[in-house]
Amino acid sequence: MRKRQFGARLAVVAAASAAVAVAAAGTSSASTVKAHAASSDVTLKLVVADYGTGPSNTSLKYWNSMAAAFHKQNPSISVKVTDIPWTNFDSEVQTMIQNKNYPDITEGDYFSAYAQQGLLYSAKQVLSDSANLLPAFKNQGSYKGTQYGLPWTTSSRTLFYNKKLFAKAGIKSAPTTWAAIEADAAKITKLGKIGFGLPLGPEEAQAESLLWFLGDGGGYMNTAGNKWTISSTADVTAFNFLKGMVAAGDTEPDPGTQDRTPLWEKFAAGDVGMINGSPALIPIIQAGKVLSSSQWASVPIAGKNGPLKSTLGVCDNVAAFKPNGHEAQIKAFLNFAYQNKYQLQFDREYDLLPATVSAANALKSDPTFGSFIKALPYSVQYPINTAWAQVKTDIQNTIGTAVTGTPSAVLGQLQSQAQRLGS
Amino acid sequence: MSEQSQFSIRHTRPARAAFALRPLLWIGPAIALIVVVVLTPVVVMIHSSFENIASDGFVVGGAGFSNYKYLWHEPALKGVVFRTLLWVVVVVGVTLVLSLALAQLFNQRFPGRRAARTMLILPWAASVMMTALIYRWALDPYSGAVNIILHALGIVHRMGSTQADWLGSPGWAMFWMMIVAIFVSLPFTTYALLAGLQTVPSEIYEASRVDGASHWQTYRSITLPMLRPAILVATTINVINVFNSFPIIWEMTRGGPGYETSTTTTFMYILKQAFIGESAAMSAVNFLLVIVVVLVFLRVAGWKEQVDQ
Repeated sequence: MRKRQFGARLAVVAAASAAVAVAAAGTSSASTVKAHAASSDVTLKLVVADYGTGPSNTSLKYWNSMAAAFHKQNPSISVKVTDIPWTNFDSEVQTMIQNKNYPDITEGDYFSAYAQQGLLYSAKQVLSDSANLLPAFKNQGSYKGTQYGLPWTTSSRTLFYNKKLFAKAGIKSAPTTWAAIEADAAKITKLGKIGFGLPLGPEEAQAESLLWFLGDGGGYMNTAGNKWTISSTADVTAFNFLKGMVAAGDTEPDPGTQDRTPLWEKFAAGDVGMINGSPALIPIIQAGKVLSSSQWASVPIAGKNGPLKSTLGVCDNVAAFKPNGHEAQIKAFLNFAYQNKYQLQFDREYDLLPATVSAANALKSDPTFGSFIKALPYSVQYPINTAWAQVKTDIQNTIGTAVTGTPSAVLGQLQSQAQRLGS
Repeated sequence: MSEQSQFSIRHTRPARAAFALRPLLWIGPAIALIVVVVLTPVVVMIHSSFENIASDGFVVGGAGFSNYKYLWHEPALKGVVFRTLLWVVVVVGVTLVLSLALAQLFNQRFPGRRAARTMLILPWAASVMMTALIYRWALDPYSGAVNIILHALGIVHRMGSTQADWLGSPGWAMFWMMIVAIFVSLPFTTYALLAGLQTVPSEIYEASRVDGASHWQTYRSITLPMLRPAILVATTINVINVFNSFPIIWEMTRGGPGYETSTTTTFMYILKQAFIGESAAMSAVNFLLVIVVVLVFLRVAGWKEQVDQ
């Protein structure tokens, strides 16, 4: 009895928030949806994460204009777009699924749990040319060998450096080895700036750490993906090197407390010599108006003995949901959405990278994005493991203490925690 | 009284029961509020500490005591609990000593007393989060006001150095956070003691003066004993508040580096990101811990005597 009352109240709340969402999206009311249904028309429910920084570049604009163009070609299919801020994306999608209020398509984070529960169409079912999706990202969206998560937008990491500071310190070329990083960072530190920006705070310590592990041939898991290798010799060596840099004062003080975004902003302000970054750093540099485009550059990340052949790549995914039974309509829409034109438009708008082979080829010689694109096919992803979400949280919170404490002890602790959570 | 007995004679049993229940009409809403707002969350919290909850919030099944077991084996736990106790003892202790002095000062008559008393409220009136943020920026290693002053005084040798990064090293971070915690606890404590001071009858002071007692003697044998109930209340409330203090630590260090500036409250919150059941277990332990701490304190302070007075 009590439970039912609670349920009813929840439903009211959900209905109210749904109403707000509809109002916010500014789309047609319930009656028009009904009219569509009567004439056997279909309205696809598209739920997307918002990549914009405000009303001027909200993702709703991008998707609505694409949906309008699509509707013109396919009058029997309408697309209702709901966009959700990134911070709420996961929880709102989860709520929709729990309330059995299924979307047809989502774009943002991808949940392998939904594939496991049989809620998703496979990539082959809803995209004619699914081979055009970047193969490097196939595994992270796959469940038992079938791809369910379709990469939509990607980014890869490179080393950004401040050419102005390099010239001032008398450094001729960008570093490609750890030894060069150390030497260059020391020279820049002498200028009173931060030599190397090392964000090992909770925001994204798992990314920064992986970039250093890769430099020594290490990583979080072995290549077969069945064993954690967080405390491997390669990983410990990487952190021993970092500890030396920190002790010498070649980084910002106490990297374990430094988050990525504030350090990127310091790079944009011209106060940092080198920092590992993604294309998302570019708009921050442009907004800073301190460094002109000729005063910084990005190159492959330096490794122990030479530049990385493979770097960290991440992607956001499209997922197509089964329960509403709109397979044909979803396929029509996704075939339309994955055209080069829309891929490139999205990436230009948000300084991200494409997720299809054809769009990546189109950008290969782009002066800003070229170096990132070349790195994409070789990109390394985070472990595809059900325990990763929890292991990641642990890494984010504690790995930064390795540069002031004992690397082997901190990494060993993370390793045993990861093993407990699942290999 | 007589009216009541008449009532019970004239009326039948159900009516008498209804009469007995009548007070419930008045205290019922308050009880309902306490049950819904205070007790229910406690029950839900303790219940979820025995459940296996996936990191996306789905309940996977029962967990028995395994959440507590994992918590117990958490390598950071020992440090976190020790730090929490240190945090409570230092913050409450220093706050109390400073407040006793401040209360004495504000109990004197001096020009501008009203303005001074109003100013004392300000740290209380300002949002704790805001205060914590202001301190965090003041301690910024590159451009913080505190560092600029210390640099000018020659204490901080170079801006942006490890030395200037107070919040990056656990010891100094705790020191500065304690200062902020004391700063925001002073107003309430001072006012509680000030109220206590004003209940001390002036005749007693007059009598002691006649007997030739020194200022210090008067303070020790009259003021402090008379203040005892006020001190007791102020300390108990402060212990609970400081123990559960979240915004100061969260805004200034997020409990980092690692968990090295976390107390049980922030540790619980960090755990919640991925280990919901274990976090609930931490909450339950926290709840128990604060109750035990307060009970021990009340016993030591002779709480019963105070009530009997």
